[in-house]
Amino acid sequence: MVKPTNKLLQGTLDMLILKALSLGSMHGYGVGQRIMQLSQEVLRVEEGSLYPALYRIEQQGWIESEWGISENNQRAKFYKLTRLGRKQLQVEEENWGRLAGAVFKVMETT
Amino acid sequence: MNRIRLIYARLYGLLYKKRIEQEMDEEMRFHIGMRMRENIERGLKPDDAGLEAQRRFGNLERIKDAARDIRGGGMLETLLQDARFGIRTMLKSPGFTLVAVLALALGIGANTAIFSVVNAVLLRPLPYRNPERVVRIYESNPARNAPTFSISPANYLDWKKQSQVFESMAAYSRQQNLTLTGGDRAQQVVGARVSAEMFPMLGINPALGRAFLPEEDRTGGERVVVISHGLWQRGFGADQNLLGRMLTLDQESYAVIGVMPAGFQLPNNDAELWMPLTLSPNQMNRAERALRVLARLKPDKTLEQARAELGEIARRLEEQYPQSNLGWGAVIRSLDEVIVGDEFRQALLVLLGAVGFVLLIACANVANLLLARAAARRKEIAVRIALGAGRLRLVRQLLTESLMLALMGGAAGFLLAVWGVGALVSLSPGNIPRVDEISVDTSVLGFTLLVSLLTGIVFGIVPALQASQSDLHGTLKEAGRSSSESFTRRRLLSLLVVSEATLALVLLVGAGLLIKSFVRLQAVDPGFNPANVQVMQLVLPKAKYAEDHQIQFFYQQLLQRIAALPGVQSVAAASGVPMSGGNSMNAFSVEGRPAHPAGKQDAADYRTVTPNYFSTMGIRLLKGRYLTEQDHKQAPSALLINETMMRRFFADEDAIGKQISLAGLEDKSFTVVGVVRDVRELNLETEARPAMYMSHTQAPASRSMSLVVRTAFDPAQLSAAMRSEVTALDKEQPVANMRTMKRIVSDSIAQPRFTTILLSVFAAIALILAATGIYSVMAYSVTQRTHEIGIRMALGARAADVLRMVVRQGMVLALAGVATGLLMAFGLTRLMSGLLYGVSASDPVIYAGVALLLTSVAILACYIPARRATKIDPIIALRYE
Repeated sequence: MVKPTNKLLQGTLDMLILKALSLGSMHGYGVGQRIMQLSQEVLRVEEGSLYPALYRIEQQGWIESEWGISENNQRAKFYKLTRLGRKQLQVEEENWGRLAGAVFKVMETT
Repeated sequence: MNRIRLIYARLYGLLYKKRIEQEMDEEMRFHIGMRMRENIERGLKPDDAGLEAQRRFGNLERIKDAARDIRGGGMLETLLQDARFGIRTMLKSPGFTLVAVLALALGIGANTAIFSVVNAVLLRPLPYRNPERVVRIYESNPARNAPTFSISPANYLDWKKQSQVFESMAAYSRQQNLTLTGGDRAQQVVGARVSAEMFPMLGINPALGRAFLPEEDRTGGERVVVISHGLWQRGFGADQNLLGRMLTLDQESYAVIGVMPAGFQLPNNDAELWMPLTLSPNQMNRAERALRVLARLKPDKTLEQARAELGEIARRLEEQYPQSNLGWGAVIRSLDEVIVGDEFRQALLVLLGAVGFVLLIACANVANLLLARAAARRKEIAVRIALGAGRLRLVRQLLTESLMLALMGGAAGFLLAVWGVGALVSLSPGNIPRVDEISVDTSVLGFTLLVSLLTGIVFGIVPALQASQSDLHGTLKEAGRSSSESFTRRRLLSLLVVSEATLALVLLVGAGLLIKSFVRLQAVDPGFNPANVQVMQLVLPKAKYAEDHQIQFFYQQLLQRIAALPGVQSVAAASGVPMSGGNSMNAFSVEGRPAHPAGKQDAADYRTVTPNYFSTMGIRLLKGRYLTEQDHKQAPSALLINETMMRRFFADEDAIGKQISLAGLEDKSFTVVGVVRDVRELNLETEARPAMYMSHTQAPASRSMSLVVRTAFDPAQLSAAMRSEVTALDKEQPVANMRTMKRIVSDSIAQPRFTTILLSVFAAIALILAATGIYSVMAYSVTQRTHEIGIRMALGARAADVLRMVVRQGMVLALAGVATGLLMAFGLTRLMSGLLYGVSASDPVIYAGVALLLTSVAILACYIPARRATKIDPIIALRYE
């Protein structure tokens, strides 16, 4: 039985989070939502992976966090991309482009 | 940069733990709130919306745990947390902790103690520069039973000149006793002569002053001496101005030019002072082999190349000088091989293996305890899993506890080892090489730490993995009643019991074999009666006693004086006594037999003795007559031979009356007048070699004589009186090696005694550990089966049935261990066959006896819990939760 999967490649979650945050600072819930919207509901980020990934990236110094007020006037922790994070995103995007191209070529072969 | 931030983040995490936790909580609550709102917007009822949000978020604690790990403070923090928790758990069950730490302390302590000996004797490099390149060279004549022999001066010089593989080659003489006078009391010191190359070749400079110059190593050179650090301190109060002072050694003056650093010694040599070797032209013969030679290999040369080259040179010399060199080759040994004999190396490795086994048994024991306790902690662990603890997290927690136990055991073991090493050194025979270097140093400490950590992982990992995989549902429901104890756990416990019994049996067999061998060794008849004999050695200085008649007169007078002491039954002198080293060999030929070619003559040990040596030592006559006072200088020269010499050389004819001429004494011919029993001259283990005895008046007088005195009471009481008789004759004459003959014999088997005692101690520890292991598993099993046993008894099982059931369960395991142990012992004891005397490594009596011993101990260990099982009251047991 073959079924479509939407599992994330390992390591791509970090890139997606960086990408989501490159559009503006956001709280954790929003990051998950934004990735879902951008992927047109294909990629659903589990909370169990999202938060550890956020903390991991923060520790790398690619994002930083501060407390702010959310759109519905609640205290929330907002994450924002650092300069280092922007650079990292560039690197990852290039890598991803190469990888995706390569995979595409392989899959295209008939 | 990145690293600094990481460290900062970690520290921050540790310091503001509470705040971070709170923020994390808040962040996640916010997330759930947002999701709930979204759900409501999608049209769910508020209650359902909340539940869905929670469910989607999953296990909050697990996410937080993962986050904590990432946050890094995590690692360190969980460790601290685990450690704190571990300490609490340990304090809650002090009995368990004590037993576990004790078992580990025994295991780790034994390993540390033996390792410190191995470290000093085998591992720590010798105190020379690049000692691995230093070798000792021997001449070798296997046909004449001399696989390694000293070297003659002329051969030494040829080897030195012709070989290309060595950076340098140096020679030293056998150690000699010297009389050091000048102070308030004459002192006997041990000296050796060394060639000028020796100290530079070994790479050791004097701590004070200088080494010998080449011109001092020539005949006619200055008389100079270098002394040891020990002698400098003991004899001269560490006088900084000693250099240049004159010492009188055997009536000759020597100038002190250097003091060696502490701990310096030549291999297999006790010398405390060194003089130049000064090989004089008239010493340049080839047949007198008395030099010991060391050499340093060039950096790019191997031992094999050196062997090939020296072999080639020796062959050339053999052709060139057949008279002296026929049959003599060259043998090279690495220095550590020379210093630590094969047998002792083997003994140490066996002991190291044995303590390894003891540690494994201790590990199995603690693993047993942990498994049993894990069962009791099942509920606690299930609750923690239910609360969201990950498996990895749990394993880490349990492993931290094991490691803490192991480290505590290691600390206790280390203390045990510090004490044990002291005991080892005092127990160890004087002839253990490098015994004074044995100590507990940093490398030993490192070893202990490493062993402790490894131990903690070995005994902790299986119980930890086992416990963390608890079936949550079952455990919580079952609420502690354990009739359905997991199958794997029971199998694990059984496996541990079997392996403990196996290892203990192997150790017991090893110890049993050594004990039997040692008993055999002690029962060996040395050929003389060592009881009530006092021995003392004298070496008369050449300068004062130059002539034979002076030497003979001195000893004659001394013997008369000592014979007159109260309690003395008889007294005699000999050029050497058994088991004290210093055997001399001499070539001989039997008159009337075709002469052997040069280099192939027969040879035998010889001793010059006063006639009553045999009655004093209790050496029995087999044939003919003893030597008597009538065998004096003018009388025909008489010779006694031993049994082995008679059997080897006079198998088909009567030895008595045969004429024998000795190399070096060709002007005389000796008549064999009697045959005496064999005496074990080397040690108790080694069979006698052919030996000849002649009267001291009919042979060149020996300056070095040992006096043997047979007394009516404890011979040691006589030593002071004997000393004062020597002083009365010559107040400058020192005395050496004052010992009882019993002591000499016992010293000769000191190494086997050392090995036997140690292995027995280890085997005893192993037996105790294995017994407690079996006991604790059976006791645990009985507790676990209380309910079941209660039912059985309610259904009519009698006490005897229960007893039989429990004992059988334990004995099946113990016997399986005994069986595998016997097989394993059969294989492993082959490795120690070199240590055994008169016992085969597969001695059936020992194997059977040990199997019986272990079985009985196991029965006892099963019986006690089984008895307890019979006391179970069915009514209470059925209610037992």
